[in-house]
Amino acid sequence: MKGGIRKVFAYMVRYRAAGLFLFIFCLLTLVTLVNPTFLEWQNLRDIAVQAAPICIISCGLMLVLVTGEIDISVGSMMGLLAACMGAMASLSRGNWPPGVVIPLTLGIGMLLGLLNGWLVAYAGIPSIIVTLGMLTALRGVTELIMAGTWITDLPSGIRFLGTGTWLGIPVSVWTALAVFLVSLWLVHQTAIGKRIYAIGSNPHAARLAGLPIKPIKVFVFAWTGLLTGVATLVSVPQLSVVDSGIGVGLELLVITCVVVGGTAVNGGIGNLGGVLCGVVLMTMISTVLIFMKLGEDATYWSRAIQGLFILGAILADHWISNQRKT
Amino acid sequence: MERLKTNALSKSYGGTHALKDISMDIIAGEVHALCGENGAGKSTLIKILSGVERPDTGKVHWRDAPLPLGKVDAIEAHGVVAVHQEPVIFPHLNAVDNLFVGREHAMACGIWLNQASMRKQTQNILATLGEALSVTEPVGEMSLAQRQMVSMARALIHQCRILILDEPTASLSARESASLFGRINVLKEQGVGILYVSHRLEEVFKLADRVTVLRDGASVGTWAIKDLNRDTLIKHMVGREVPVAPPTSSPNVKPTKQPVIEVSALCRKGAFNDISFHIQPGEILGMSGLVGAGRSEIARALFGVDRFDSGNILYGGRTWTSLTIQDAIAHGIAMVPEDRQLQGLVLPLSVETNLLLPSLANHECFRGLDQGTMRSTAGDLVTQLGIKTESPSKPAESLSGGNQQKIVIGKWLHTHPTLLILDEPTRGVDVGAKSEVHRIIQALAAKGTAILLISSELPEILSLSDRIMVLCGGCNQGILSRQEATQEILLRRSLPTDSGRDI
Repeated sequence: MKGGIRKVFAYMVRYRAAGLFLFIFCLLTLVTLVNPTFLEWQNLRDIAVQAAPICIISCGLMLVLVTGEIDISVGSMMGLLAACMGAMASLSRGNWPPGVVIPLTLGIGMLLGLLNGWLVAYAGIPSIIVTLGMLTALRGVTELIMAGTWITDLPSGIRFLGTGTWLGIPVSVWTALAVFLVSLWLVHQTAIGKRIYAIGSNPHAARLAGLPIKPIKVFVFAWTGLLTGVATLVSVPQLSVVDSGIGVGLELLVITCVVVGGTAVNGGIGNLGGVLCGVVLMTMISTVLIFMKLGEDATYWSRAIQGLFILGAILADHWISNQRKT
Repeated sequence: MERLKTNALSKSYGGTHALKDISMDIIAGEVHALCGENGAGKSTLIKILSGVERPDTGKVHWRDAPLPLGKVDAIEAHGVVAVHQEPVIFPHLNAVDNLFVGREHAMACGIWLNQASMRKQTQNILATLGEALSVTEPVGEMSLAQRQMVSMARALIHQCRILILDEPTASLSARESASLFGRINVLKEQGVGILYVSHRLEEVFKLADRVTVLRDGASVGTWAIKDLNRDTLIKHMVGREVPVAPPTSSPNVKPTKQPVIEVSALCRKGAFNDISFHIQPGEILGMSGLVGAGRSEIARALFGVDRFDSGNILYGGRTWTSLTIQDAIAHGIAMVPEDRQLQGLVLPLSVETNLLLPSLANHECFRGLDQGTMRSTAGDLVTQLGIKTESPSKPAESLSGGNQQKIVIGKWLHTHPTLLILDEPTRGVDVGAKSEVHRIIQALAAKGTAILLISSELPEILSLSDRIMVLCGGCNQGILSRQEATQEILLRRSLPTDSGRDI
């Protein structure tokens, strides 16, 4: 009996998506028992809206981690992109049409990602350093652009991206779904997807096999930058105010989701299903805490729990790799 | 005639000439062996021919047209394919992805991979190699030999015309090697030219039609195999006559001396049973036996890596019933592990630092470490050990395998350990460096260090050891003196019999 439980546990740890799914299910059951209103459409919709931008960026960041690199600049990048978008679109500043603002925002995101990727792949600087520098620098540029002011007058065209719905489901959730499907295609059905995994799995062999390591690394960073742009477009217009503090700490949340979702920090392993479960779980937690009627403490707890989850996930990975060795 | 011809290839890293002016050719339908000591430039030549590296000067012609150098995929497209010594394996991917990553089959204008076709071809290739492998399991969970086969299959999915094999049998069993040789002969009959790199000279004589010898980055010459024998080939590789007779040593042992270590009835369940022996100062005790006989396990127990169940070790004036690595080191036991790269060296650190790591305490002075004496000591050691390096400040990983091993063993020369455990000290070391490593071992013994030498090479054990212990299935099969031991006796004792098999 004890062996049986152990086996199930081992399976759950190994097939992260299945384990997380079960965990989410248990959590849902528990919180619904305490407070049945959790399952109401409005609440689930709120969680989905909260999860959407995280999911979009996670799809990109997972690929960065799979190649064995890391990108901790996505939070600041979102801050800068929000400021750029706000400045271009706001009625009192640029007042440019959405048809111009949207591609420009995506383009800036991709360019910043390209810059990250170039510095990592071609200049040979470790990605943690490159993106740490970007984390600080981009936040600084954001503050310069915003110059201590707020943008409150986004035009309705842009606002629609954040608040509009189609068939009762918010635009951001549709976008996240589309990004997820595109990522599935990229990972499973394209040459570049296979090469991304190969590079992370064994960089030395990748070199001997003549894989284009540098262009692929640039690609994953640029792709993450582009997706950060997408996430900015569908999440920032939800707010009535754009300031220079958007996206602070976002990088940690995204990395937590990706790692909790079973992506190896050393590269080679990453599963989109697992990452999606990671995103759902991490965004649920703060809401769950509120619904568990913990009162004021709830918000304080969410950070601590986020940290515990990332440590737990890494411990689980460690445990698996030790098991494989023996 | 189809042939691959290199024209005055040269390549240097930093100031070291890895290759100098190499001109050779490989003709379709021949097995062309490439021989040379470690560090002779074989790997560099292979990297250039396969496109991993670009030469500084020189050209490679294939069918009288120049090959696009420095581009693996373009060279592979011409049918020139290499199987590298380290298998090109992506452990997290399955066999299909391993074979096709970098040359995927696409359909629908490239937006969709043709999984079915790749899977089919993978199964076909693995079938022709005689391997029944899962195509869905991650390759990292397969055995080493199976991984080697996947790496081989990766090369064979091309219609290859020139196949470069770098030490293909290094991790294969005899049966698997035989099937590989069969495969090589089939390819040869199909008109594939094969460049075969191996340290195992018997394979070279069995397979090759011609041999090219490299020494210190330059080509010594190319011979038809029938014009060579083992001794002349070795002579070409080393550039000097290697004494076939064992390196002689005067007996350092004075039988009256107190033993350094006395092991009585040491047991560890499932590993070794009732092991007793002693070693005297300056004595080399050889430990012979088949792989898995428990030799490394005993060494690990003596060094405190693994615990033992019963028995004791009399050492340093104390009787130990359990000991830790810290105890072992504190009492002057040193160990040179089997896997030098992983466990014996700090690869990114300099040759100098690696040499001085065990004796750093000797170089401490009031302002920290005395750089001056460190530099001179390291310089002495480099000359004394005959380490071939551009400068002692180069990282250890830039050295060839034989020179790395000289560091791993030679670094103990200045610390005078009382007991040194050597586990396969010359594995993967070439002929020339091997005798230098032997010289270092004898120098250590002459200084009074007791040495426990584990080796699978009988001539090595026979020539170096004062006494030889043979193990079989974890049991001591007796200790022989050098005079009474012969290869036959050692081999006979190490083969399992019915009485010594189970433990």
